[in-house]
Amino acid sequence: MAGLVHPATTTIPAEASKTAHTKAEEKTDYMNLPCPIPFEELQREALMSLKPETFEGLRFDFTKGLNQKFSLSHSASMGPTEIPSQSAETIKIPTAHYEFGANFIDPNLMLIGRVLTDGRLNARVKWDLTDNLTVKANAQLTNEPHMSHGMFNFDYKGKDYRSQFQMGNGALFGASYIQSVTPHLFLGGEVFWAGQHRKSGLGYAARYETDKMVAAGQVASTGMVALSYVQKVSEKVSLASDFMYNYITKDVTSSAGYDYILRQCRLRGKIDSNGCTTAYLEERLNMGLNFILSAEIDHRKKDYKFGFGLTVG
Amino acid sequence: MASRVSLKTKGKGKGGKVSKGSDEKSAAQRLKEWSTWAMKKAKVVTHYGFIPLVIIIGMNSEPKPHLYQLLSPV
Repeated sequence: MAGLVHPATTTIPAEASKTAHTKAEEKTDYMNLPCPIPFEELQREALMSLKPETFEGLRFDFTKGLNQKFSLSHSASMGPTEIPSQSAETIKIPTAHYEFGANFIDPNLMLIGRVLTDGRLNARVKWDLTDNLTVKANAQLTNEPHMSHGMFNFDYKGKDYRSQFQMGNGALFGASYIQSVTPHLFLGGEVFWAGQHRKSGLGYAARYETDKMVAAGQVASTGMVALSYVQKVSEKVSLASDFMYNYITKDVTSSAGYDYILRQCRLRGKIDSNGCTTAYLEERLNMGLNFILSAEIDHRKKDYKFGFGLTVG
Repeated sequence: MASRVSLKTKGKGKGGKVSKGSDEKSAAQRLKEWSTWAMKKAKVVTHYGFIPLVIIIGMNSEPKPHLYQLLSPV
């Protein structure tokens, strides 16, 4: 019965759209649904608003463009770095890093490489083979043995779906698929298999978006349930909230935050159910000159992190 | 002499058996060893060569930047 109804709705908008525009908007064209966003970016609005890259200490980034497509970046950072400790208190040791990076960004090919003073390389490659097929590779290589990771992704974009296949070192394989069901609702699933740890998992995801809000949810057999909701209150203000629950370890974390995108600055703040508040300010002082302030206060662990920095270019 | 000969043939026989056994396994085992060797070499090549590769590709893209622009901070 549903199959009989749909062909009628697809032919009607063509004729009635000129006369009754609102009627055409109500009847959705199921043959022309929009292409969904990639599976890994399902919760990207919530991620961008609630998880800014906070840091501690001084940070200075300088990006020099040699070309429209080619640029070099120099980044220096000095500050305490946390090292994992067995006891409840956090142990920090002061470190200083210099990172050199080279970026080549073309419409079809993107190469990004970053190397640190201790020899760690972070490489990302994205190559669009055709309009629909993309190959991505991501690697973190270190001098220490057995600490390097690499991952290859093959993405295929269809008319109203996306599928992805991943291979990583340590016999890690994964596949994901996301489909547009209506112009506002996207559903997807993923499977993965980790050979080294002999684990496999299955996950489902759903995303509902309109002009004003985005609601996304993900459930995985590893025990993770993640829900997020972002409301765009106005052009400049968004409010976001996030709920993460692990039904195996019974861990719950919930956070709520705001994101103000103003002409000269972007201010993000959030508060967590772990007693952690974060704020992140990026202020545009001049063309190409940005000033960054980052603060993260963990009241429960009594860990206070403040950072400031400058980004040029 | 005879004992030595017999020892040699025994050794050969055993060696023959062992080599036959390793030939049977080595199709899959050889592939695994070669792929491990290839991944190790690929890791070293990527580690040292990725950034120079990006720089070479960038310096050859249009419009070609000059060599001094690589080093000067302006």
